[in-house]
Amino acid sequence: MEELKGAIALIGYGLAAIGPGVGIGIVVGNAIQAMARQPEAAGVARTTMFLGIAFTEALALIGFVLFFIA
Amino acid sequence: MDVLIWASEACDTAKEIICKPENVVELFEHKEALFSIGPFDFTRTVFLIFLATLIVVASLYVAFRKPKIVPGKFGVVMESLVGFVRDDVAKGTIGPEGGRYVPYLLTIFLFILVGNLFELTPLVNFPITSRMAIPAMLSVFTWLIFVIVGFAKNGFGYVWGIMWPKSVPIALRWLVGLIEFVSTFLLRPLTLAVRLFANLVAGHLMLTLLLGSGWLFFASVGDIGLRSIIGLPWFAFGLLIFVFEFVVAVLQAYIFTLLSAVYIQTSVHPEH
Repeated sequence: MEELKGAIALIGYGLAAIGPGVGIGIVVGNAIQAMARQPEAAGVARTTMFLGIAFTEALALIGFVLFFIA
Repeated sequence: MDVLIWASEACDTAKEIICKPENVVELFEHKEALFSIGPFDFTRTVFLIFLATLIVVASLYVAFRKPKIVPGKFGVVMESLVGFVRDDVAKGTIGPEGGRYVPYLLTIFLFILVGNLFELTPLVNFPITSRMAIPAMLSVFTWLIFVIVGFAKNGFGYVWGIMWPKSVPIALRWLVGLIEFVSTFLLRPLTLAVRLFANLVAGHLMLTLLLGSGWLFFASVGDIGLRSIIGLPWFAFGLLIFVFEFVVAVLQAYIFTLLSAVYIQTSVHPEH
């Protein structure tokens, strides 16, 4: 079991990256739609997009850190 | 052959499935001290922290020592950075009273930016923000500021407003309040620090692995002959990541500052 720990952590990181991957895709896609529909509101949309990416990305990053800790 | 041996002796591939450090401690500290003053080790990381501070202070001093109506090239760059933090981040997020928080936000923005860009600076090649102590300390500062501002503006209604949200149906208030409490006071500083830390560790690892393996193959041309050309795509990919990491370094500094401003804003206007 001990020698499998690293490989399991690697799979765990891969699983942890699925959700944020889908989430960031949705966030950026909708932000692009918003910018295309209302170019005058592009500044607000961009700031909010970065915020949304940052919040979504946190899950993947926690998985990445857990890979090292495991 | 010795370079390849040096690369492979760190772990026994026959026994271990993947090679990784013995523990994570090395991500949190730098062991070799340049010199020590009492119990405090003065390591390379500490040296780079002081260097980053010096760079930030010196560039601000040079740019704004004698403000001119038509600034020089350097002045324009610094003025646009300061104007960006003041107008877009502080006032754009917090509102008109965001001016009070500009000094703090500008400090962390410039410090993290310089610290991140150390990753790409030749001969330094080490982002100080990839040692957990620095993002953790900066996020503790942000945490202290938004908690203190929340108490100063709303008294104890600040915590009560988080734990007993009025806009939620009464049967669910305790659950939402519990989630909000944990996310506001525990998860916010944790994710703020981990986001910066993990991004920079990942970038640093990728650059080290790609450029290092490229160099390793080139260096062993005498032993493996023409096969060392496989180092070329690694090196090229490493240079591609180098450009990408520049974007990540700037973006992470921006995101840390922006999230700090957003957290302060939720304390200034807690109902939103």
